[in-house]
Amino acid sequence: MAAGNVKTFTNGFIAQNPTFVQVLGMCPTLATTTSAANGLGMGLATTSVLVMSNVVVSLVRKFIPDKVRIPAYIVIIASFVTIVDLLMHGFTYELWKTLGLFIPLIVVNCIILGRAESFASKNGVRASFLDGLGMGLGFTGSLVLLGSVREFLGNGSIFGLHLSNMKMFAMILPPGAYIALGVLAGMFNFIGIKKAKAAKAKAAK
Amino acid sequence: MREFLKTGLVLMIITTIAGLGLALVYNLVKEPIEKAELAAKIDAIRFVLTDSVTGNLLVPETEIPEDGKALAKYEWTPMPSEEGIMYSSTTWKGKVQSPAYIFETKDGKKVYVLTGQAVGYGGNVVSVAAFLTTPQGLKLNAIKVMEYSQETPGLGANIARDDIQKRFYPIASEGLEKGLKVNKDAGIIVPSNELQRARDTEGVVQTSDVMTGATITPRAVVNSINTMYEFLKKAGVK
Repeated sequence: MAAGNVKTFTNGFIAQNPTFVQVLGMCPTLATTTSAANGLGMGLATTSVLVMSNVVVSLVRKFIPDKVRIPAYIVIIASFVTIVDLLMHGFTYELWKTLGLFIPLIVVNCIILGRAESFASKNGVRASFLDGLGMGLGFTGSLVLLGSVREFLGNGSIFGLHLSNMKMFAMILPPGAYIALGVLAGMFNFIGIKKAKAAKAKAAK
Repeated sequence: MREFLKTGLVLMIITTIAGLGLALVYNLVKEPIEKAELAAKIDAIRFVLTDSVTGNLLVPETEIPEDGKALAKYEWTPMPSEEGIMYSSTTWKGKVQSPAYIFETKDGKKVYVLTGQAVGYGGNVVSVAAFLTTPQGLKLNAIKVMEYSQETPGLGANIARDDIQKRFYPIASEGLEKGLKVNKDAGIIVPSNELQRARDTEGVVQTSDVMTGATITPRAVVNSINTMYEFLKKAGVK
């Protein structure tokens, strides 16, 4: 992998993290992170759709007239979401039952349309694949992190593993989603600003 | 003009390909989906047809259906159903789904297997229940909560736990006749050695100790049981 590709791939992890830095896809982020396992399932389903739609959008980017590019992308994304939904229903019935309601929501997850519009429609297939995978994994990571924090504070467990007797129910309920997300986003920004300052100081020397 | 045509044509091609792809996938997964749904249903029926006290099957092993065809033989629809709902209770705000099933025990008693639902914290909580006809009246043998995906994890979603579901059964007809309540609504706390008696005689289901902070979900479950019982009464079952 060339250096540029590595950068494309790792961009979504921290520097351009979809949740904490780009603040995209808040709806599923807030709704599905009641536990670490739900966050992981939702993140992986989103990643698979993101990778497939990025590749296809990148493949057909030269044929799609500019004026209808948004409806064309949405049709492509919606088809993949429906395919993922059907496959999960048939082959991973238990997981589908827990996540069932959130799967159709992936269609309107702005990360997917966002990456199609801002990256895949301007870049080659390989780069788009890596971008989709990187952003998807970054999204999954933040969902798992958020889910773990909420599950730990609210239920004293992570991935169902009992760790403590902490039971702050509010953290699992909707207010907890906002509080945990706000604190984590603040932390990410704090680290980002500190790093930027350190880099500046180094450059000044 | 040419550009309009081109734009339309491109969109048409994209939607056609997407449509064909979806049709293909749908046809491929249709069978696995049906199988998975049916397997979950048969598992639940088998569970509620197991005597909740002795752990033995109430019906002969051969009577447990293995596929959709065998299951259809047990269907029982005493009331016409509309959009999959056979009965709605105004008292308990619950619904009974269609179809219901009727089985016969080894000693010739009838067992009614119903699917009931009531609204929980975030949506319907669906349970399968088996009611057994006894000389003392209808008895609730067991329930299995099937759908609770919208309940809060760590709170209402704990209803998935078997030890919590055991709090809801078995219940003798005296308790069912009174209308089931969760202990919080009844305003009492049932001591752990009285759980069965409180269910049987007063219709009180003790949940506040195992589901602290969650009342809405167990309330939905007792209301769906109440609805199913009311339905059986209305259908003329004694």
